[in-house]
Amino acid sequence: MQDAVGKFVLLVPAFAGSALIILILTFLWYEATPIFLAPQGGPSIVIQPIWDPNRDLYGIALFILGSFICTFLAIAMAVPLGIGAAVFLSEFCPPRIRTSLRMIVEMMAAIPSIVYGLWAYIVMVPWIKNSFAPAVQSNPLTAWMPWFQGSTNGLSVLAGGTILAIMLLPTVVAVSDDALRSVPSSYREASLALGATKTETAVKIVVSAAIPGIGAAIVLSLGRAVGETMAVLMVTGNSLQIPFTLLDPAYVMTSIITNQLGYAFVFPLWRSALFAVAFVLLMMSVSFTVIAKWFVKWGMKTRGLV
Amino acid sequence: MMTARTHQIEVYDLSTWFGPKAVLKNITCHFSDNAVTAIMGPSGCGKSTFLRTINRLNDMIGNFRMKGKILLEGEDIYGPQANVYELRRKIGMVFQRPNPFPMSIRDNVKYGPRLHGVKDDNELDPIVEKSLKRAALWDEVKDGLDEPAPNLSGGQQQRLCIARALSVDPPVLLMDEPVSSLDPISAQKIENLIVELKKDYTIIMVTHNVQQAFRVSDQAAFLYLGELIEFDKTRRIAEAPADERTEAFITGRIG
Repeated sequence: MQDAVGKFVLLVPAFAGSALIILILTFLWYEATPIFLAPQGGPSIVIQPIWDPNRDLYGIALFILGSFICTFLAIAMAVPLGIGAAVFLSEFCPPRIRTSLRMIVEMMAAIPSIVYGLWAYIVMVPWIKNSFAPAVQSNPLTAWMPWFQGSTNGLSVLAGGTILAIMLLPTVVAVSDDALRSVPSSYREASLALGATKTETAVKIVVSAAIPGIGAAIVLSLGRAVGETMAVLMVTGNSLQIPFTLLDPAYVMTSIITNQLGYAFVFPLWRSALFAVAFVLLMMSVSFTVIAKWFVKWGMKTRGLV
Repeated sequence: MMTARTHQIEVYDLSTWFGPKAVLKNITCHFSDNAVTAIMGPSGCGKSTFLRTINRLNDMIGNFRMKGKILLEGEDIYGPQANVYELRRKIGMVFQRPNPFPMSIRDNVKYGPRLHGVKDDNELDPIVEKSLKRAALWDEVKDGLDEPAPNLSGGQQQRLCIARALSVDPPVLLMDEPVSSLDPISAQKIENLIVELKKDYTIIMVTHNVQQAFRVSDQAAFLYLGELIEFDKTRRIAEAPADERTEAFITGRIG
């Protein structure tokens, strides 16, 4: 009897949670339908590069590309650094330092993205323009590299990717650290008892056993990276062009929505196209989550942990 | 400095502490080669600490201190020249709960030799087969060497852990209550295996099961509150314990 009450009371929030997601998805789909059905639009907008609402051109490929490049850069920087930091925290760090480092990491995760964006805009963008770009372009070791060509005002995919990496870092560190620490110490002892060093044990046993958890952390931060708006909007330059080098500006999916929603009501299709961008964004986050789940399951199975 | 070697493992005047707490007190004993020595005693008497001092696994614990000497083949394992990694290769260990790595059976056995420089599969595969045969597991797993090890039954996992310990050819094998978490049939198999293995290895086994110690061991040590109360041939201790505390333990009055 008491159970029935409890079940019912808890059913409501559980149901409301999933219902909301479905409603949002339906709403996005409903708003995006016109552009997908219109002769000027259609599903092919996701591969068309030209965005010019005044000429009825609604290609969103540029934004998808911009988001992909920034996300890829961010992951490429944040993941090796974050996993390294997590291995240090969980396997080598003295307990007292560990507590304070973990606290700093958690505080980093709580900083609002506008603060990161402001810092990047004031500090990093000028640094890329005045120091980084001249340095790599005058150094014969790096000057030939195609990804360092072109003039820049600092607003670039490099700035966007770097600030995203900084923002992802705390999540990657915290989740990987948790995954590493949940590896039973009996594995570590078995490895040490065979004559392994602490480093060999950390790399060959602990990280390997934690791969499913670490992989999930990466895929989830992928989702966060494509969805992040504020900081990226402030430092990527928001320019309708294909970024050929790291120093070129770009336009990402979240930025186009934020920048143009206010006056997109002028043409109904314009508005609808922005919702199409949002819909693609949501589908990407959903698929990252599904991939994460699938990856964890696969990892656990090949390790015999389920 | 080499001293005249009488036994593979000799312990002189060993005392250990965790922080201020004394765990082992002035223990001196020689473990016979190619024999099973059982270390018996009630919970908390320091059996496991003793075992883990022999392969220096306690080094990992921050507030661990020790005094005295443990000689492996005549060399002080806590001495300044001692190489702890080489030491642990020579002293294999099997734990209370089976703890195979979360990888395939084959990779579990390959792990140790790979650490110590065997890279070539042509050398590793025979080691895998030999070790699994020695641990009496080969016939059960030879067709599924690439299956994840945690999918094996508890008893098979423990034999895999024995195979993993044997893979680096250690002259000495430490076993910390190796069957206490297993069902009786698996436990019986592993007891038989231990008797078989002593022909080639010096085995030191911790147990709180007196009957098991009597069945399996040649020598027995009785530890009580950190002191070595008695150390002698198992048969002698079983028939006529010299100390009344030993008698109290083996008759079940303390334990």
